[in-house]
Amino acid sequence: MAVDLPCAKKSLARARHKVLKFAGEHGFAGEAEDVALATQEALKNIIQHACPADNNMHIECRVTDDTIAVDISDEGHGFDVSALGEDHQEPLALHGRGIKLMKGLMDEVSIVSDEEGTAVHMEKKRSAHGP
Amino acid sequence: MEIEVEEKEGYHVVTPVGELDVYTVPLFRKVVLKLEGERRHDLVLDLTRLTFIDSSGVGSLIEIYQKVQTVEGELAFVIDNPRILKVLRLVNLDRIFRIFPNLGRALQDVGVTGGYVDEDFFSDLT
Repeated sequence: MAVDLPCAKKSLARARHKVLKFAGEHGFAGEAEDVALATQEALKNIIQHACPADNNMHIECRVTDDTIAVDISDEGHGFDVSALGEDHQEPLALHGRGIKLMKGLMDEVSIVSDEEGTAVHMEKKRSAHGP
Repeated sequence: MEIEVEEKEGYHVVTPVGELDVYTVPLFRKVVLKLEGERRHDLVLDLTRLTFIDSSGVGSLIEIYQKVQTVEGELAFVIDNPRILKVLRLVNLDRIFRIFPNLGRALQDVGVTGGYVDEDFFSDLT
């Protein structure tokens, strides 16, 4: 599944529902909610930090054996990934939980961002015991 | 999103219905923070009818928690949705928020008794 969506808040729910549907249809019903929320959080970070309003975000989902992978990319101006927050962040901080949620929901998360754009790669393995 | 508000013996019981996310947080914040105002009000947030929460929704819960703390009020959460609990656990808020599995238990904890029966509690006695 691949889709291009405008770099705008309205795209978040659309992307989440597309990922939810794709994961459910490809044998990852138990992981679908986690993958969809992680995707929404990744997109939200890109919208907030990385891309201008007229830019597009490219979202691609793939399934290989027991793993579902999501790749998100844009051609925005990039951002400082270290500003997204650290694992030891205070629980009561008002912002910065998106990256923590992504890492908690997925098995692998990587974010590369520079002046040519941002690329997020996330993977989650199928749980043997469901969600 | 719909937001139901009840007042019980000095407590506000607020029940958001639907999704608490980047789209609905502005309305939720506006309603709850206005409700709390500057006076001390204790609050029960009944999240049993939430179907989805994202980091923006979590942020609004923290903001409300801090607001209630500022006025030395009490805040209890009612959450029975494993998805919502999982999200709060991932950001370590399950250790900070007072979370109960049903409204009856939350109201008992904060000292409100009128009209609410904890059926789980009484089922142990029959």
